[in-house]
Amino acid sequence: MVMGGAVTSGRKLRWGLVDILVLVFALVPVLWVVSLSFKTKETLDDGNFIPSEWTWQNYADIFETTEFIRALVNSIGIAIIATVIAVVLGTMAAYAIARLDFPGKQLLVGMSLLIAMFPQVSLVTPLFNIERELGLFDTWPGLILPYITFALPLSIYTLSAFFREIPWELEKAAKMDGATPAQAFRKVIAPLAAPGVFTTAILVFIFCWNDFLFAISLTSTEASRTVPAALSFFTGSSQFEDPTGTISAAAVVITVPIILFVLLFQRRIVAGLTSGAVKG
Amino acid sequence: MGKRMSASRSGRSPGRAAALLGATALTAGLLAGCGSGSGLKINVYYAPEDNFQSVVDDCTKASGGRYEVVYNKLPRPADGQREQMVRRLAAGDDSLDVLGLDVTWVSEFAEAGWADEWTGAAKAEATAGVLPGPLETATWNGKLYAATKNTNVQLLWYDDRLTPTPPKTWDEMIQQAQALKAQGKPANVVFTGAQYEGLVVIYNTLVESAGGKILSDDGKSVVMDAGAVKALEMLKKVATAGITDPSLTNSKEDEVRQSFQRGNAAFELNWPFVYASYAKEKKDALQHFKWTTYPEFEAGKPAKTTIGGYNLAVSSTSKHKAEAYEVALCLRNEKNQKFSALKDGVPPTLESLYTDTAPLDPTAAVGADNPSMDTTYPMRETILDALKDAAVRPLTPAYQNASTVLSKVLSPPSEIDPRKTAEKLREQLADALQSKGVIP
Amino acid sequence: MTVQETASSATKSGTGKKPKPVLSEGKKAERRLGLWLCAPAAFVMIAVTGYPIIYSIWLSLQRYDLRFPAQQEFVGLDNYIAVLSNGYWWTAFGTTMGLTIVSVVIEFVLGMGLALIMHRTLVGRGLVRTVALIPYGIVTVVAAFSWYYAWTPDTGYLANLFFPDTAPLTEYWPSLAIIVLAEVWKTTPFMALLLMAGLALVPDDLLKAAAMDGATAWQRFTKVMLPVMKPAILVALLFRTLDAFRIFDNIFVLTNGAQDTSSVSMQTYNNLVKGLNLGIGSTMAVLIFITVAIIAFLFIKVFGTAAPGSDNGGKR
Repeated sequence: MVMGGAVTSGRKLRWGLVDILVLVFALVPVLWVVSLSFKTKETLDDGNFIPSEWTWQNYADIFETTEFIRALVNSIGIAIIATVIAVVLGTMAAYAIARLDFPGKQLLVGMSLLIAMFPQVSLVTPLFNIERELGLFDTWPGLILPYITFALPLSIYTLSAFFREIPWELEKAAKMDGATPAQAFRKVIAPLAAPGVFTTAILVFIFCWNDFLFAISLTSTEASRTVPAALSFFTGSSQFEDPTGTISAAAVVITVPIILFVLLFQRRIVAGLTSGAVKG
Repeated sequence: MGKRMSASRSGRSPGRAAALLGATALTAGLLAGCGSGSGLKINVYYAPEDNFQSVVDDCTKASGGRYEVVYNKLPRPADGQREQMVRRLAAGDDSLDVLGLDVTWVSEFAEAGWADEWTGAAKAEATAGVLPGPLETATWNGKLYAATKNTNVQLLWYDDRLTPTPPKTWDEMIQQAQALKAQGKPANVVFTGAQYEGLVVIYNTLVESAGGKILSDDGKSVVMDAGAVKALEMLKKVATAGITDPSLTNSKEDEVRQSFQRGNAAFELNWPFVYASYAKEKKDALQHFKWTTYPEFEAGKPAKTTIGGYNLAVSSTSKHKAEAYEVALCLRNEKNQKFSALKDGVPPTLESLYTDTAPLDPTAAVGADNPSMDTTYPMRETILDALKDAAVRPLTPAYQNASTVLSKVLSPPSEIDPRKTAEKLREQLADALQSKGVIP
Repeated sequence: MTVQETASSATKSGTGKKPKPVLSEGKKAERRLGLWLCAPAAFVMIAVTGYPIIYSIWLSLQRYDLRFPAQQEFVGLDNYIAVLSNGYWWTAFGTTMGLTIVSVVIEFVLGMGLALIMHRTLVGRGLVRTVALIPYGIVTVVAAFSWYYAWTPDTGYLANLFFPDTAPLTEYWPSLAIIVLAEVWKTTPFMALLLMAGLALVPDDLLKAAAMDGATAWQRFTKVMLPVMKPAILVALLFRTLDAFRIFDNIFVLTNGAQDTSSVSMQTYNNLVKGLNLGIGSTMAVLIFITVAIIAFLFIKVFGTAAPGSDNGGKR
């Protein structure tokens, strides 16, 4: 990992400073949302970065009814299922694109890009009509299917970009060294493919997690409404006041699963590199 | 084009609903008390309102077990509410029964054939005792397409420590504000100046108060007369007099409220929801928080203030229209309008409630938990005054287009050039009304 | 793993593009496998989007306003003429294009830096990697709203800090700058994550060898790392650009399109969803699609063989 030279404390310090810079860049706006979530209604608009009066009320409010909890369950379930399927299908297709020669390859690559490019706002109403006919409207599959579809182009592109960079000869070399095909795959290819796969999984998961357009258009009840859509059903004190406090609290809560997901998966992105397989 | 539009609209038979309603009125009596479990559900699509579920439950109870009223909550942003209903109606969804419509959508839903016309006994009940302004918003081409649920009207809010006597006219308000500014006191006039519906509301009030018109009464052609041009001049004058908030062009209702509450402004033009917030957040100064009707455009001619609010329509695709009418009427009957007014802060459309004195629970004493119209709406007489001579936003099926064009062309108000802006509006509104070309 | 053996042997034997005559058994098997592997993905994508896309294109050739259904008729390219001859469209187009270019360039530079940091830092790697991705995970509307709040005088710490007494979101350039800031903050992690995964593919021995040959850090970056990362860079830039061009949420919340900051997606929304004008709205969607397709085509041309599915497999 370490390029040239020993790890001096000076270098550590330099990296430490750079890290802090990154943390500030990423976190200050997030802390602002956190701060809003802890402000009382009276002090919400005082412009202080740190709340002058702290309250848990906003958190208490969102967990008071089942509305938010149901939405959270829906979000987690739908995002995980869609991510798994999209990554599996994407991996299959990307492997074929990167390694195999078959007719229609260009067509598939082009088509998936086409789907990624079409403005989704104009696809929502026809999708709504189809789903209503098929009874998919306001169900989990009704959201999972579009999520898989719109995550697939990115999955296929990302994964095939990575697969073609993998030195597949290593697998052969491993087998020559006496490894069984299964071992060769597990020990050599899988670790090399891992960064691409887990990167894709993170991106797809976040895409599904944050989608608002499909979530608001293809659901109508708590049965399948996800959190981003549920946020627009929160009520303020009146028609004209946005429930800034509770929305911020909800935003903070729903960021936790993202952090856990990333925390879990980001390690795998290193895995490919440190496994030592590269040295063959 | 106009002829074809009306032809398509009159395609429905107006008598059918009345007949159905009559039939239900009969059967209702017979079935009442037959016990519940019929399984019939009447779907109400309505904006999120904290205590609306109680109103809905009340109407389920009132049916005596004949049906269950289901509250399908729509999202908070008005555009989102309309979008969801329209998408379903355009797809011919027959599960919608009662539709909660913003006052500006009625003509559109009527013209598109999505809202059923009210006739007969239901019409009589829906119009009885309703203030004329709100009623007008439920009417299109002389026919009733919805029952009014609640209304709203903006007032002029001020602090009597700064301005012991509130201004009578816009000019006076500008002068007072400038005088306050010269003394280094809070001086701003705050109003909804962002590029959205709120700016149209202000402009419409100015136009109507100046005796002008934006569109013709049938909503088919652009008028933009002298009054409308004078209103443009006034809007520019306010915006360039040095007495507006720097964030004027990004201010919506809540920013306006906050700005005044923080003590940045001398005059606030806003809906009555600001009172409840002020009472909660600035209790100490509440006694100085005063209100009056909108300033006049010309001295001696009372302002005509734009009204807001919601109406309830019956979906023309509904399979249970008779029940739907019944539910719509129940949701906005005197008792429930009063309940919503007290619990959710939405002013009623029934005139009688403005002089009502009984608290929510008439058997108990008035208190914080048992409010009355007196305690919740100290400004109710002013609201009533404003409602009696209210302005309705132009009634046209293409209102959304017209509004999008208006807010775009009027923003920012400081750059209005009355003649040129009026010319631009005439041109673009004409296209917008026919849904021709592009809206910004 | 006979699959891969077959595959690699096929690659080795130098695949011609049109092996018309007799296909070897292995070749046929490879084709079959390729098709089978792609079939599920292709099926899902076509099943879900096929009809909606065709329907949108068909709508763009109609006069069709939901409120006036009786007037529906085929109008050929009239809608396209109406949109393309409209000043609002071109203003929004210019704004969108400008925002896209500026934000993608900034995101790429920052994203590359962030990727290097996330990849190479010696301290707290897990922390940096996780935290750096949080902005991408925050729901866009909420993030946009928090920026709006932060930049509004009195309610926001940023406005009070940097621009006391003015409202940056009510002026043209400041509001564009804030929109870019919000975009960059939100999506740089997306770039960084893809680029970091690309960096993970750069073999260390290659870098060491280069260092021993006396290559400077910059040379190692441009000569060793960038070429290996090319496919990852293409994917990151391509998908970011496609997305950036369809910017909606941030503008919708921050300015609602005031001061000519409206984007083409917002206009599409206003015509299609708010205006219920399916004809004009769909036309705008198709025009956005065409523009984005041209951008994608240019990218793929520039990156040449690094593009997925291009024939020479992109081997070093």
